Amino acid sequence: MFQNRAEAFALVLPAAIFAAVVFLAPVLILLSEGFGSGDSWTIQAYIDFFSQSLNQTVFLRTLKLAALVTAASAVIGYAAAFAIVNLPPKGKGRITGLVVLPLMISPVARTYAWLVILGRTGFVNKALVAVGLSDEPIRFLFTETAVFIGLLQLFLPLMIISLISALENMPRDAVPAARVLGANWLQVFTKVILPLTKEGLVIGGTLVFTGSMTAYITPAILGGSKVLMLETLLYQRVTVANDFVSASVIALILIVMAFAANLLLKRLATARNKR
Amino acid sequence: MTNKLFSPIILLLVLAFLIGPFLIIIAASLSAGETLAFPPQGLSLRWVLKVFEVESFRASFGISMFLAIGGTLAALILGIPASYALSRYKVPGAETIRTIVSSPIIVPGIIVGLALLRYFVVPFNFGILFALFLAHTALILPYAVRVVSASLNNLQSDIEEAAVLLGSSRIGAFFRVVMPNIRGGILAAFILGFVTSFNQVPVSLFLSGPGVRTLPIDMLAYMEITYDPSVAALSALLAFMSLGIVFLAERFLGFSRYV
Repeated sequence: MFQNRAEAFALVLPAAIFAAVVFLAPVLILLSEGFGSGDSWTIQAYIDFFSQSLNQTVFLRTLKLAALVTAASAVIGYAAAFAIVNLPPKGKGRITGLVVLPLMISPVARTYAWLVILGRTGFVNKALVAVGLSDEPIRFLFTETAVFIGLLQLFLPLMIISLISALENMPRDAVPAARVLGANWLQVFTKVILPLTKEGLVIGGTLVFTGSMTAYITPAILGGSKVLMLETLLYQRVTVANDFVSASVIALILIVMAFAANLLLKRLATARNKR
Repeated sequence: MTNKLFSPIILLLVLAFLIGPFLIIIAASLSAGETLAFPPQGLSLRWVLKVFEVESFRASFGISMFLAIGGTLAALILGIPASYALSRYKVPGAETIRTIVSSPIIVPGIIVGLALLRYFVVPFNFGILFALFLAHTALILPYAVRVVSASLNNLQSDIEEAAVLLGSSRIGAFFRVVMPNIRGGILAAFILGFVTSFNQVPVSLFLSGPGVRTLPIDMLAYMEITYDPSVAALSALLAFMSLGIVFLAERFLGFSRYV
């Protein structure tokens, strides 16, 4: 450890000042716009925002979709991560690589693929009609289901890799031991695996939840103006109505919810089992 | 054990869900037909070739490249000294500084873009391109600091102290002893920053003006007007580009150790 303060500041300040001026200051000013422009602070903008039914719907839909995507990715993630961890080392590396691979691909490209698959003349509809399961194409696009599928595909890899590292850190013989002692698979999961991998679940869960909540591309392409989420609503308020107050309100809601989710999940992870 | 049968099925389904759409994009981009479809109507390279002819794609590709390379370099120039100070010096308020520098990762990108547009571009007449450059630099900075810090923390500080004791200047010790040892980490930070910036949408959403647009934003705009397979072809090409970069990085420096 070097003690020279002047040197330390000279090295660290350019980055700190840059982030403060280019990033923190403008964002804080934007957030302050939601509390009135005059001398007195007011939460009127928040009251107005939440009194409109469209905004309520969008707010609840965003929470609901983010929660559903997180829950689904946790269930699928455990199954997939458990299967991967039990593979021989060579296969484990390869499959993990394949799971991570989509993260390197542009989210625009990954979301665009669902247009081809779920569209009116898309792959799924053609198959459904050909097999005779449906007489005419089913409408998938611009529904919550489409947005859900798109978000799940986007964020599932984050959950799987978090759970893989959690499962790998678990004592090897914990599961066989529980089995030998007579626990069924459900008990093994809830009493052994879950408590031992809680931290990985929390890290993955935070990434998936905040990622889904603040996603823009997926709801924009697969949801359109029919299935607005908070970010697409923000974009619409600004571009259509020049409404910066609503934008500021939505911005703070997004930031607060991201922090709240983070804290809540951390609390859950550190809460020790009573027994 | 049921696991023997269950595991491969689960893995197959998950991989099909994660990778399948990407394969479908590739197939759709090879279509000879006029509209986006899977299975493709005949095979041809016409949409792949068309990508290179669309004027706006060429321009926005150039802008995205500039931002990804320039923004990452700027973030490294700011981030490397900061990481060095945070890992080697007793910096008063180190935690606060770390929080400030990494804050762009916490706040949704769309808000950053909007804030820059509203308080930098409009009042001070900043060019859109310059604002984009600032935004992308701010966005990459947390990654640069995190990856470079990790590499610095893995490097024992005795060797620099030894260099200084043997008469090297502090700056000399940094460039001759520390830099060669954290080269891998810096390269990894560069690649991570490049991919992050190149694929970034929300930050750039509001920061687009006449003739200045990043490639992903341009693709979104193109998709709204036309339904031909050229966006699929472009998506496939970009995916191969990202994968190629990551593959080379993994091959030559074991990229995944750093990220």
